[in-house]
Amino acid sequence: MKRVAALLSLLVVFWLSGCTEESPPTETAGFAGLGEEAGDFAQAHEEITLRFPEDHAAHPDYRIEWWYLTANLEDERGEPLGLQWTLFRQALSVPEEPPPGERPKPAPWAADQLWMAHMAVSQGDSHRVAERFARSHSQDESGQAGAVAEPFRAWIDHWQLASRVEEPDADTFAELNLSAHQSDDQGGFGYDLALTAEGPLVLHGAAGFSQKSADGQGSMYYSQPFWRVEGEVTLDGITRKVSGRGWLDREWSSQLLGPEQRGWDWFSLHLESGHKLMAFQLRGGGEGGGDYRSGTWITPEGEPTALAPDEIDMAPLATQEAAGREVPTRWRLTIPRAGLDLIVEAPHAERWMDTSVPYWEGEVIASDAETGERLGEGYLEMTGY
Amino acid sequence: MLTAFATLLSHYKRHPGQLAMLLLGLWVASALWSGVQAINASARDSYARAEALFTTGLDRLERRDGEPLTREDYLRLRRAGLPVSPLLEGTIEAPDGTRLTVIGIEPFTLPGDNAFASAGSTSELTAFLTPPWQTRLAPDTLSALGVSHREAPGAEPRLAGLVEARLPPLTLDPALPPDTLVMDIAAAAALLDSGERIARLVTSPNALAQAPEGMVLTRAATLVSPGQLTESFHLNLSAMALLALVVGLFIVQAALGLALEQRLGLLRTLRALGVSGRGLVGLLALELVLLGVVGALAGIVSGVWLARMLQPDVAATLGSLYGADVAVTLNLPWHYWLGGLAVTLGGLLLAGSGVLWRAAHLSVLGLGQAQAWRAGFHRQLKLMGVAGGAVALGGLALWLWLSYQPPGEGLLAGFGLIGALLLASALLLPPLIALLLAGLGRLVAHRPLAQWALADLQLQLPRLALAMMALLIALSANLGVSSMVGGFRLTFLDWLDQRLVADFYLRPPAEQHDDIHAWLAESTEVDELLPTRRSEATLVAIQYYAEERDEQTRELALPVGVYGITPGATLMPSWPLLATQAGRDDAWQAFAAGEAAFVNEQLALAEGLAPGDRLTLTAPGGEETLTVAAVYPDYGNTQGEVLLATPQLASRFAAPPGSIGIVLAPNGDGTALREGLRQRFAIGGDELVDQREVKRIATGIFERTFTITRALSALTLAVAALALLASLLAQARERRRQLAPLWALGVPRARLMTIQLAQLGGSAFVVGALALPLGTLLALGLVAVINVAAFGWRLPLFIFPAEMALTLATAVGVALAAAALPAAKLWRTPPRALLAEEAT
Repeated sequence: MKRVAALLSLLVVFWLSGCTEESPPTETAGFAGLGEEAGDFAQAHEEITLRFPEDHAAHPDYRIEWWYLTANLEDERGEPLGLQWTLFRQALSVPEEPPPGERPKPAPWAADQLWMAHMAVSQGDSHRVAERFARSHSQDESGQAGAVAEPFRAWIDHWQLASRVEEPDADTFAELNLSAHQSDDQGGFGYDLALTAEGPLVLHGAAGFSQKSADGQGSMYYSQPFWRVEGEVTLDGITRKVSGRGWLDREWSSQLLGPEQRGWDWFSLHLESGHKLMAFQLRGGGEGGGDYRSGTWITPEGEPTALAPDEIDMAPLATQEAAGREVPTRWRLTIPRAGLDLIVEAPHAERWMDTSVPYWEGEVIASDAETGERLGEGYLEMTGY
Repeated sequence: MLTAFATLLSHYKRHPGQLAMLLLGLWVASALWSGVQAINASARDSYARAEALFTTGLDRLERRDGEPLTREDYLRLRRAGLPVSPLLEGTIEAPDGTRLTVIGIEPFTLPGDNAFASAGSTSELTAFLTPPWQTRLAPDTLSALGVSHREAPGAEPRLAGLVEARLPPLTLDPALPPDTLVMDIAAAAALLDSGERIARLVTSPNALAQAPEGMVLTRAATLVSPGQLTESFHLNLSAMALLALVVGLFIVQAALGLALEQRLGLLRTLRALGVSGRGLVGLLALELVLLGVVGALAGIVSGVWLARMLQPDVAATLGSLYGADVAVTLNLPWHYWLGGLAVTLGGLLLAGSGVLWRAAHLSVLGLGQAQAWRAGFHRQLKLMGVAGGAVALGGLALWLWLSYQPPGEGLLAGFGLIGALLLASALLLPPLIALLLAGLGRLVAHRPLAQWALADLQLQLPRLALAMMALLIALSANLGVSSMVGGFRLTFLDWLDQRLVADFYLRPPAEQHDDIHAWLAESTEVDELLPTRRSEATLVAIQYYAEERDEQTRELALPVGVYGITPGATLMPSWPLLATQAGRDDAWQAFAAGEAAFVNEQLALAEGLAPGDRLTLTAPGGEETLTVAAVYPDYGNTQGEVLLATPQLASRFAAPPGSIGIVLAPNGDGTALREGLRQRFAIGGDELVDQREVKRIATGIFERTFTITRALSALTLAVAALALLASLLAQARERRRQLAPLWALGVPRARLMTIQLAQLGGSAFVVGALALPLGTLLALGLVAVINVAAFGWRLPLFIFPAEMALTLATAVGVALAAAALPAAKLWRTPPRALLAEEAT
């Protein structure tokens, strides 16, 4: 879901700002170019059936794609801790269809895919962020970055999310290891985590096609919201044992947004009841120019119910300053169909991702709007502020 | 006031020769100065651009075994989490034959902000990364590609060679160094056909604590920037230019003095007509400035032209001597133009200040006496003597100070010493000649004509003095420089012969090295093999060996090269050594046994090393301590170097195999060997170099190094000759007037002419003779002080009698040529006209 945010960063960096003197185009379409037309790339649509494990791997015939993990954890002292790991892919050109039976080796260093990865570790007022870039070729699976299905592995340099399943014929996506480290002048940060799926994959929208604007643009979108997470997290040079819950989003598209959409607010919540909720609004691009909303209500067994735009109500209640910008950190989120009336609040406003395309991404706590009772936790992503 | 000014200037209408001389002096002085400054400014611009390039300032990684790094190495290190970035570097040939450096970068991993900066705005990244890619280059690289500035953006110029190769579309980036093409690593790999190979890995400074297994890490901090390296070279050039400026200003002062003297009557009249003394000085100053601007502008224009002529040689020299890339075309900042103007005007005002001062202080009545200021010439001679003595003392003090400095220090002081030497000699010249004339006058007391000639010469001395001084300086400088260059040439060629003892030098591919070595060792064509190795180390401590005092240790962190040679029957007798602890044989014995190392002269001078001292060097297996057994000359090297026996270098410093010197057997056949290597190992061509070829290249580099020095010194001499000629021409008319009475007394014209030629030829001979010791002293200063500071090595002083004879001949020739023109005029002028002139 939220993944888009980062995505944009990629886009922004490479496409977006696209106004050179020679090609004075066309104002940028959508946030970070995510609204650019698909061109010769494949287009996400309702008739596509997702197939696993193939769809865990990269889809180079689509322009953009991401593997996006967030986790709400607790360390051995009981202190809450959040982390994020994201790998974005951006196609530089439509891959050429190799002749049947042939896979010519690409020229050395030739690239048709760009990769960008973000990681963040957040606890209390600390928020550490790192970013990486790489190039690869879709015909070469041994490059600096990539994502392959069998056994599952998504990586950039030494950051990787990879299967630890060894039994043959098992679902290699069910148990993953996540490892990423970055040195900095405060002693370094990073994590080594074991992820175990405790529920099924969840397809959003219409069997995996998630519409993103009223005029039909959208993406292929599924999640694994049922990760149990165990492992170690290092922050400012101190390593602690952690455990908690994780949420992985997978999304790919060639034109994600409508041209008028300028940013979004995206929630993923783990509720104490065992239910999960994904809900987002894309600001602009809805019916009559309003916001476009969508979401999925997921039972503890992993049964999804797609939420229509008019079944979701979300409104900012208060803003706080983060990295010099006013960001809404307190929201009212109402889903009558699920019987939810929530206050969703970020306990720490300083979760600004100061990456090449900046956005806000941080832990939130959901509580009942009337009683104030804590109902769950999760992550919120906000772009375009 | 305007009228007064016009009146003052009208003098030059009547004496266009003086005006020409003034302007000529200003012109040549300013031309040489601005020419050299243009070269320096342009080179500095190139250095600044080179230092701004992302390839500098980064730590670099290479494989220890000398094999090229590959994409796989890069990916392996990235997967291990090391922040390395691949860099591809190679050369291609432009259509006009220029070698262009191609740098392929990987913008996503290149450290620092400069990755994006070098690729321009972020939106250009896609164009940079994907076919047809982009070539980024500085505008001054376009000419090599035959592309005009206007049609450059997007052009895809063809390259030289048989292959139908084109560059990716061009994009201009003035911040890039000259002759450098920057492109995506994929484009560079295609262009250079380098496959999976890369030149090296780079990383931000100190990002890695230590080199990964099997690699050598070179810290950016240890790479000396071209600006630092070449500083002394540019100082050398500046000193030559300053010399030319001074010589030019001598001419100017001579001309100004003459112009003032001849206008004294005019000045008096103007004063009498009511022009104030201060106003008159103001007018004269205005005249100076006017002349100065005209002369300086002409000079700067010709200076730029001169620089354009010399620039390719300068660029070639800097490239071969220091590996610094310098644009062959000029690139001048605005302050260059202002600076040139300011220096010329400043020099002119300095030269003219004496004249202005005199004009301001002569009384109105005193002005009436023509030749008034010449009356003070005796006082002036005394002043010159005192000043010359003072400058000489200053020079002596400088020399004493220098002799207490560590060798290799005091480049500026060295130039100061040489300047003091020249100035003192020039100042002492007129008093010396005056003394000489007085002495000679006593000797020829009974030969009236000779006595008259000497007395007459004494009378001319004030006017000729400055020109003679200029000539002395130019002659000595010329002699000094050519002695230094000639001496260096002899030493250098000798040294090449001693160092290059093998017939062939083979650089085998690393993976074939052992096989080839074994094969060569078996070959009947080969007498001896001289394998070499090379590596880098840090000198961390020096333990000085001194018999008379306690041993003392100094800690430091100096990067040095370590070089391995094979001490064998061929090399040991010929390898030159400058100093040893206990004789050549002992030194070689200790060296071969691995107990001792040799150090090059640069390192010995810089760190005050002598045989017997002990060095501690970092090595892969810990620290290695070696005794210095000898010091050897190492011309042309910019780095300190420690020499070891090759097997020692391999075992103790893990140095990769390098080139192999091949000494042929007495009747070994080089052609057969070459053919054998080609058939057996498919190597030849570039990998196998004939010793004669190496010498040819080395000599070529040497010749280029001193082309500019020679050109500038010859130009300075030409300026001095012009000064003398101009002085003589300026007073030719007056001279004729003085000769007329002699003719009237019955001296034949032929005799008169001979006397004139003898006067000038004789004084020029004296100047030339004085220039001989002075030039030799100058050469000594150059080889023993300047070269040591500038290049790090000392040369023996060579005396070239032929050069000296040439110097003398030049002096007399210039004087005779200068005298010939007035003499010819005298021959043609009817005696009556002479008398008439005398009467006026």
